[in-house]
Amino acid sequence: MENPDPREPEVKGLLAAILVAGPVLVGLVYSLLGSFSVVGPGATGFSLRHIQVVLADSTTWWGTLWTVWIALASTTLATVFAMGTAVALRGERGVDRFARLAAVMPLAVPHVVAGLGALLVLSQSGLLARLAFAANLQTSPSDMPVLTQDRYGIGLILALTWKELPFLALIAFSVIARRGPALEETARSLGAGALRTFRAATLPVLWRGLLPSSIAVFTFVAGNYEVAALLAPSSPLALPLLTMERYTDSALGVRGEAFVLVLLAMLVSLCGVAAHEWTANKVETGE
Amino acid sequence: MWRGDPSINDYVDRWVAPRLLRDYGITLRTIDGQGPAIVNQLVVERDARARGSADLVWINGETFNNLRKEALLYGPWAHRLPAAKYVDSLSPIVMRDFEQPTNGFESPWGRVQFTLIYDSLRVPAPPRTIAELGRWIRANPGRFTHDQQFTGTTFLKSVLYAENGGARSFAGGFSEKRYTEGSERLWAWLEGVRPYFWRRGETYPASVADLHRLFANGEVDFTMSYNENEVITKVRQGVLPRTSRALVLRDGSIANAHFLGIPYNARNPAGAMVVANFLLSAAAQLEKLRPEVWADGTVLDVRKLPPELKVRFGAIDTDPRGIPRDTLRRYEVSEVAAEYTERIASDWKTRIRANPR
Repeated sequence: MENPDPREPEVKGLLAAILVAGPVLVGLVYSLLGSFSVVGPGATGFSLRHIQVVLADSTTWWGTLWTVWIALASTTLATVFAMGTAVALRGERGVDRFARLAAVMPLAVPHVVAGLGALLVLSQSGLLARLAFAANLQTSPSDMPVLTQDRYGIGLILALTWKELPFLALIAFSVIARRGPALEETARSLGAGALRTFRAATLPVLWRGLLPSSIAVFTFVAGNYEVAALLAPSSPLALPLLTMERYTDSALGVRGEAFVLVLLAMLVSLCGVAAHEWTANKVETGE
Repeated sequence: MWRGDPSINDYVDRWVAPRLLRDYGITLRTIDGQGPAIVNQLVVERDARARGSADLVWINGETFNNLRKEALLYGPWAHRLPAAKYVDSLSPIVMRDFEQPTNGFESPWGRVQFTLIYDSLRVPAPPRTIAELGRWIRANPGRFTHDQQFTGTTFLKSVLYAENGGARSFAGGFSEKRYTEGSERLWAWLEGVRPYFWRRGETYPASVADLHRLFANGEVDFTMSYNENEVITKVRQGVLPRTSRALVLRDGSIANAHFLGIPYNARNPAGAMVVANFLLSAAAQLEKLRPEVWADGTVLDVRKLPPELKVRFGAIDTDPRGIPRDTLRRYEVSEVAAEYTERIASDWKTRIRANPR
């Protein structure tokens, strides 16, 4: 059927963009006004007080750095494991198909359940500790290495890696399936060994295909509240936890600081997107 | 209302709601939300000039203080309730909310008292004062901590009172000078015992529910509650070990009441008043007090009630885990101005939590 109005697709596109971006823009404007104490709980009229307090507070910066560390570590681990899984399970045998299905099953597990599961397994009175106790390897909960609410966020990183892996693996499976074996067969026919083929043919394809999804995972993980609430320590306090704490502080005058923290979290996510654009650009220009 | 306790939810959903529908034709729908979230919601509704999403809110302390400051409560109305005639009007704990007169802007619902909870098997001779607790913590490294929310802050206030000669030192409104001097002793006490806390005081359980979990799993030997009877309900639910017991600190055990308020933009304030009146009735207060229901203290003066009701209050099944009424009364102390709570909560975060050593 012929399109009666050539401008119609543009209008539809614009509408879709507004629908997607609208709520974010409204949130952004409200957060900006909240940061300047114009709206929101405890607002006192235009003031830079909230911004000054948040930026001068070392808790903010430790929390931000810690959150970036958690997001980077879990995204990197999940990406590497997703690549490994995709390469290992690329075959067409029934067992490979089944393994691929099994690998993406945790996709259906909610984040909060993943967090609770990690707590039940890894905490000092968790399943591992109980097994160690039963095997006479330890006598009290404090003998168990600290893996939850720990300074380096090991339990949190493990939980997030486990939870994000299936999503990235799903993307990696489709990247490999789309590209097919032709490129690698060519490399091998030109005399490349298995390692060389992987490095020169498989890895770049997987990497380029996975990058946008990894960036999405990074921004999601950096803003995730519920898993951090279960597994993160109280110091340094992860950015999402700090934001929520300020927003529900018993002192009304402090709640406006949450808006500044929201904008800071947005900046972290934007850095992730900028990193993607920069890398994608480098890949395209062949640097 | 706060929906974090199944026994409270059951009382409201299965006992209160059907009776409101049967007797008054009122359909009670509960919405999750507590304290700061209620204030934020009402501020946003005011900014948006929206009609209210709640007709009745469960509040106290700094939430009441904030809602009054922001003029987000409807009223006065509470003194007009017929059931208010039996309220324990001589009790400063029921008539004032963190020292602030309620002035008819909220109606009392229940009263509770702060207790420590311990396992009588693991700690047969528990400490009874803050000084004894300090010695116990040093002698048992890694076996004590407190949470980062309301209950933990109440524990810190107990230390503040004990280290400064009692709650009376802070009565009569907020004073910056008294706070600064008094809180220095609190921080000194904490710095002294913190190295012996769970995880050396480098991290703290997020909520009292997390602390209960650590206690039930044997990671720590104490938990705490801002309801003297929570030990009874939580043991019945199987959350806490059967050998759990509660104790009041002899330096003073902080008590307060919780209340019901009506938002300024409530759609049905008259219906809300009927509900508040029903919740204040002797029948509803009696049911709420039962250990197998919620075990929440009554705000009524039982002596004022007609004889047959007085008997029923007296006949409530007492649980051996409960603390005798006269012990509770002997050591009870009121809350002081809400600003003390706010300052302790915020200074603890910057002075103690953010500086693990």
